[in-house]
Amino acid sequence: MFYRIPEINYFRASTLEEALELISKLENVKVLAGGSDLLIDLKIRRYEVKNVVDISGIKELSYIEDRGDHVAIGAATKLQDIVESPIIATKAPVLAEAVNEMASWQVRNVATIGGNLCNASPAADTAPPLLVLNARLRLVSLEGEREVPITEFFLGPRKTVLRKGELLKEIVVPYERGAGASFIKLGRRNAFTLSVVAVATLVKVRNGIFDDVRVALNSVAPKPVRAVSVEKFLKSREVSMSAIEEGAKRVLQDISPISDVRASADYRKEMSVILTKESLLRSLERAGVKL
Amino acid sequence: MALTEDPYTLISKWLHAKEFLVVGKGIARADALDKALGTAKFVEDYFQEGMLFVKQVLSTEPHAKILRVRDEEALKVPKVVKVFTARDIPGENQVGYALPDQPLIAEGKVRYHGELVALVAAEDIDAALRAAELVKVDYDPLPYVLDPLEALERKDVLVHEEVGSNIAFRTKVRKGNVEEGFSEADVIVENEYRTHHQDHVYLETEGALAIPGLDGRLTVVTAAQYPHLAQSIIARVLGVPASSIKVVVPFMGGGFGGKDDEGPLTAAKAALVAHLTGRPAFILYTREESLRMHPKREATIIKYKSGATKDGKLTAIDVKIIHDTGAYANRGPFILWRATVHASGPYEVPHARVEGYCVYTNKVYQGSFRGFGNPSVQFAAEMQMNELARKLGMDPVEFRLKNMLRPGSRTITNQLLEESVGIAEAVEKLAEKVNWAKRRAECESFKGRYRRGIGIGVAWHGISTSRGVPDWSNAYVKIDKDGSVSMFTGIVEMGQGSPNSSHRQIVAEILGAPLEKVKVVFGTSDAPDAGATHASRGTSIGAIGVLVAAARVRERLNKLAAELLGCKPEDVEIKNGVVRAKGTGKELSWDELIKQAYARGVDLSATGYFFLPKGKFNDELGQGQAYPAFSYVAMIAEVEVDTWTGKVRVLRIWPALAAGRIINPQQVEGQIEGAAVQGMGYVLMEQFVFDNKGRILNADLTDYVVPTTLDIPEIEKPVYVEDLFKYGPFGAKGVGEMALIPAPAAIAGAVSHALGKPITKLPLTPEAVYFELRKGGST
Repeated sequence: MFYRIPEINYFRASTLEEALELISKLENVKVLAGGSDLLIDLKIRRYEVKNVVDISGIKELSYIEDRGDHVAIGAATKLQDIVESPIIATKAPVLAEAVNEMASWQVRNVATIGGNLCNASPAADTAPPLLVLNARLRLVSLEGEREVPITEFFLGPRKTVLRKGELLKEIVVPYERGAGASFIKLGRRNAFTLSVVAVATLVKVRNGIFDDVRVALNSVAPKPVRAVSVEKFLKSREVSMSAIEEGAKRVLQDISPISDVRASADYRKEMSVILTKESLLRSLERAGVKL
Repeated sequence: MALTEDPYTLISKWLHAKEFLVVGKGIARADALDKALGTAKFVEDYFQEGMLFVKQVLSTEPHAKILRVRDEEALKVPKVVKVFTARDIPGENQVGYALPDQPLIAEGKVRYHGELVALVAAEDIDAALRAAELVKVDYDPLPYVLDPLEALERKDVLVHEEVGSNIAFRTKVRKGNVEEGFSEADVIVENEYRTHHQDHVYLETEGALAIPGLDGRLTVVTAAQYPHLAQSIIARVLGVPASSIKVVVPFMGGGFGGKDDEGPLTAAKAALVAHLTGRPAFILYTREESLRMHPKREATIIKYKSGATKDGKLTAIDVKIIHDTGAYANRGPFILWRATVHASGPYEVPHARVEGYCVYTNKVYQGSFRGFGNPSVQFAAEMQMNELARKLGMDPVEFRLKNMLRPGSRTITNQLLEESVGIAEAVEKLAEKVNWAKRRAECESFKGRYRRGIGIGVAWHGISTSRGVPDWSNAYVKIDKDGSVSMFTGIVEMGQGSPNSSHRQIVAEILGAPLEKVKVVFGTSDAPDAGATHASRGTSIGAIGVLVAAARVRERLNKLAAELLGCKPEDVEIKNGVVRAKGTGKELSWDELIKQAYARGVDLSATGYFFLPKGKFNDELGQGQAYPAFSYVAMIAEVEVDTWTGKVRVLRIWPALAAGRIINPQQVEGQIEGAAVQGMGYVLMEQFVFDNKGRILNADLTDYVVPTTLDIPEIEKPVYVEDLFKYGPFGAKGVGEMALIPAPAAIAGAVSHALGKPITKLPLTPEAVYFELRKGGST
């Protein structure tokens, strides 16, 4: 058991430019945004780290902006700012719904949305809502910028497509008009706990037919995942309870949960089906669809 | 009237007082403001740079011979002073409480993953942490045993070879003839129950600061629930007289029994380093160390058979209790005794056979925890009562009341309960308040996804130590020339509030001194030994000495005031600083009275030693007086079960207490709420996960989950039945542990009602409830 933070070189960047220079130059480097994950990971020696670049003081990375057809969120935006943002509340409420259930008020005032994504925990709670919102991530390095869909961002536990010298700068959340979305988290208590399973869904219905269905889960695979089998089954199908129940069962084809101290794989499987159904029903209700 | 200082007379005199100034009132505690402002100081607050920091090296094996502790690399770290092992202990390396089976630092072999192997002392924290990682221990692994049932059978794998088996201790109770009892029964219920470990999760982890030479002694500032016990254990480990050790316990961030066991050991570790280096030494457990090392609530297997007649009278119980005590007995034998003699629940049972086994395994050991062996056995007993009632087609409350202990009842140890048995009245009042029958029927009308259930747990809890084990109280009261009053006690302030609320009230009540003039000095071994702050005794047994000491001084003040005012001593009235001769209009001030006492040679200091009278218990026969009296508690819980996920939500809790006099209702409510929530956490979410080496996999607060404010149900105002105990201060019996004891039974009973299925195993996590619902077809 280790509790000592190993010796590291600590750099505090005050501009994005400076941060990018540091992370491209330094070896074995980790970015510290809020530190609520990283400091624990350093203590338990999850990573061999030589250098830490602190970006928490970079003001230009903390913002929530309505840009007409999408919402832009700076990567170093605190989770509590997302909970309290009127823009998120109206344009991407499912994200606020998820973040509101994360950690505690104290931790949400430290932890950032970018940190939650880049830490790439299979249990990241910002991932399912952003996955169903088809968010895009703007990655930046000294060489320039690129944009990747969030569906392609995670590679596995603690692994992302971020390259050496690259930093998540912004999360782009497109408007979803006429959609209903919801997020349901099952944890071991009502607050301040890791998900056993969490599900986000988003639906659009036209003339009683599923026009669009998006389902995403965490804690049931090596990375947060979209349940494409469920989506494929429901899309273009008539909205009915039997379709939803049948569709929800397909989630088992999209997940591969493990047993750990939090829950067994069997329970996670059963809950994935049940919560997918529940979330779909809630999203339909929010889209104004009556069953 | 002759003045007396006889404790029995004084206790009785105040027991029967008709009017009270401050007793029975929700007086704010003396430390409220300091706690709210954050100025109250805890052990860690006394640490200063320059003191040695002590870090522990823990075993990574469940059972292994220690071949060598290699400290060469560790000693190369700059600022490291020394690495200490069992070899460095100058006195006895023996700290077992009930049995002499436990070293302070592992010697020869380790018996669980997480056991202390070495202490590293360094000039600063970083150096100590780094060096601790560099201490290498060569182990020769031994075969190990983790399951208590397996341990009972094995003779080839022994946690303690010298014992010859893995049974650390046995207990028994016998009454009547159980075979005869079961032959009279119309219904019989037989089940095996399992309960699990629980951690105390006090906000403040274990810590101690030892300062050599201060005050001519070795002073240890520590978080321990019994300063005099810490003092004697330090003295034993160092091989010095207890008089050369002073223990001071400042404010403590929670104890719950955990610091009754681990506190003195923590203190001894700091003291050892300070003693050997001659320098102040400080130790503070990380949360992870605390979770790995310190004793837990016992895990149990309880086999329970009970029978009743068709008109609802219990005829017999046959109970086998197995406690997984882990690597050491610690207080396991006492915990097992308590479980054994309470096995019936608060009911009359004519025939009883109870057997207890305290079994060693290679896991973290068990110890004291709020309820002390009782919550698990009351859970089993109450689940049995529910099943019997169901089989009999009776209402569970009605069935309980038919069998409940009342004045004149005999317990399963054949102890006659002459008085102070208010539980039947408490249960009747509680059921009425809750509107039990109606609410129960309403719960049954929930048929959809969310089901509702209501359950009751009724429990008893013997006060003081079990059987004939000696117990006493004491305190020292003095009044200074300016009229201010000091009371010194070894009872500690660990959040429960007894020194800063009830003790202060007792002193102010008895002396008639203004409350703001009363200062309580708590938690010091320089005070007379008042026993530990455990077993719900802070305001009960622990405060008898406070009452007696104050009452002795009051008798002297009455005599003096009578002379000054020209009246009889019994006509002297002292209220809020005014001394009056009843019915004469003559008066003088408190300050004047004290001035006169100093001028006229009246001794204004007194101790209040009281040795609690106890009956005999025959361990061979399993009969006799188990406790001087019992406190009683009942709890009704209403739950909602999400049948889709298995998640249980406790909606509401109604408590009732028959614990004698309620000295401070505000504090009592706080204790009840805290205990109910701690009990709820135990039932619904808290559990340790061990790997196949007996290592705790969730030794952190990410994965050892305790309730948050968002999990807490509505907790109603308690029902009180003040069934006074003749030796209690003003008749108080004790409250601290009470509301935790029936919580498992009440909540699990409610879940069982909601599901329509018996519950035999805890915890009731969503996963456990989900699969229970689907076991053998849905309901």
